[in-house]
Amino acid sequence: MSQNHGDTIPLNASSAQSDMDEIESLIYAAPSATVLPARPTSPPRASIPVSTSPLPAPAKPPLPASSIPIFVPQAPPASSAAPPASVSVAIASDGFGSAPNTLTEPVWDTVKRDLARIVSNLKLVVFPNPNREDPGKALRDWDLWGPFFFIVFLGLTLSWSASVKKSEVFAVAFAVLAAGAIILTLNVLLLGGHIIFFQSLSLLGYCLFPLDVGALICMLKDSVILKIIVVTVTLAWSSWAAYPFMSAAVNPRRKALALYPVFLMYISVGFLIIAID
Amino acid sequence: MDEGYANLPTSHLLGSVPAVTPEERKPAGPAEAATSRLQQFPPAPGATGGGYQPPGSPLDGDVETQTNWKGYFNVASYAPYFNVDTDVVVDRLISSVYPMDGFFRKIDANPDMYGPLWITTTLIFMLAAFGNFATYLMQRKTDLNIWNFDVGYFNWAATVMYGYAIVVPAAFFFLFQYFGSRPSLVRFWCMWGYSLFIFIPASILLLIPVEFLRWVIIAGAGGASSWFIALNLKECTEGADMMVLIASASVLQFALALFIKVFFFA
Repeated sequence: MSQNHGDTIPLNASSAQSDMDEIESLIYAAPSATVLPARPTSPPRASIPVSTSPLPAPAKPPLPASSIPIFVPQAPPASSAAPPASVSVAIASDGFGSAPNTLTEPVWDTVKRDLARIVSNLKLVVFPNPNREDPGKALRDWDLWGPFFFIVFLGLTLSWSASVKKSEVFAVAFAVLAAGAIILTLNVLLLGGHIIFFQSLSLLGYCLFPLDVGALICMLKDSVILKIIVVTVTLAWSSWAAYPFMSAAVNPRRKALALYPVFLMYISVGFLIIAID
Repeated sequence: MDEGYANLPTSHLLGSVPAVTPEERKPAGPAEAATSRLQQFPPAPGATGGGYQPPGSPLDGDVETQTNWKGYFNVASYAPYFNVDTDVVVDRLISSVYPMDGFFRKIDANPDMYGPLWITTTLIFMLAAFGNFATYLMQRKTDLNIWNFDVGYFNWAATVMYGYAIVVPAAFFFLFQYFGSRPSLVRFWCMWGYSLFIFIPASILLLIPVEFLRWVIIAGAGGASSWFIALNLKECTEGADMMVLIASASVLQFALALFIKVFFFA
């Protein structure tokens, strides 16, 4: 009776049962129908240009139980993607008892899985490895937790190092990095480049890792010469990490136009690290 | 040719993803199309097929009303303003330093927003960073040890530079229209943005801790910038009776230069 609204799909146009009960009975009727695949790796991400965005099933006519699109699709990647996505995946699968349950697993397992992903992304992006030059492979399993940790950590470190106006320092650092990452991605898109928005945000965040290390060292040891050296080295490392991805995304004639703002952002953060005492 | 972009065959296949048209296919193309398309700001979405195209709406019929306001939120509708290559940008930067280089003729066909955006952003960073450094050098000369990195410089620099670069050209656009001339807002933004480029090398030079030299440098930079603005305004409005407006624009630019010196490089 109620037509399709958003993501609830009435399986039976006129049924006295509630939707959830219907679905549950259907699932138990076909026990082998796994609602969603197991999740040893992350859910399939959009690794293709955004123009073919995976707009979810709500518009499709009602399908049999095995492909109930209750799972909140990757469409709202607005905030930190990984754990919410895994929880909502789990709700669909676990609530009906058949698929592996990421909902009832120990918290440590969830955290460990996300940490493992962060570490593997870090290794791909920041450290030399044979896959670096291929942007498609480099950060296929992107996530936003890593960048979030790195940005907040950098802000906190700078704030701890500062002697006056600590909260303002954190605010400036956080704003520069977060807004900077978004603006840099938009810049590439506007120049006619082909990147995926959140993959690029993720990459720019991961490339902050060397600067994080540099900021930590500068906080612990307070000599200006050492700071300059450390910041120069880590700055070069960050730029080297970000270079292949950014330069591959645009037309070669506009490569410098896309890369310059990246260097500008990292240099300004490097300057903040040196100057804050 | 001007209607070429609106009449791309794929534009009528609503809901499908139009093919990405490669940028290097049309070196002269964007110039002609851009002349007509870039008069109004912002253009309607789907104006060009360059690069990024989100999927079209499945509903037909109200495409017209859609284009009116959704163009503002669509990344693709701003892409025509970033249709420049590295060498083009470098060329424009260099000709902004020499006021007599015919800058306006260069941007007339293809005004870009890349320059103003990143010049102002770079300038913000430079002013904050070098302003702090210059204050530090001056204080070292007087042997005081109380210098602290003033993070407020970032906030002030951002407010002043972004505000100036956005508000002043818009205000002059309306004033020029009021007095009868027919300017173009995008070209004004582009020109004012590039006029700020000269302050970047100036702010590096302003590190020299000799007070007299600093005043000389900033006066030189301010003068060159004001002259650049005046020349290009005169060229784009072709009106002799706009002298008051042109003069006030130059004075404003010089006032900005003085403000930079007084506030950041005290």
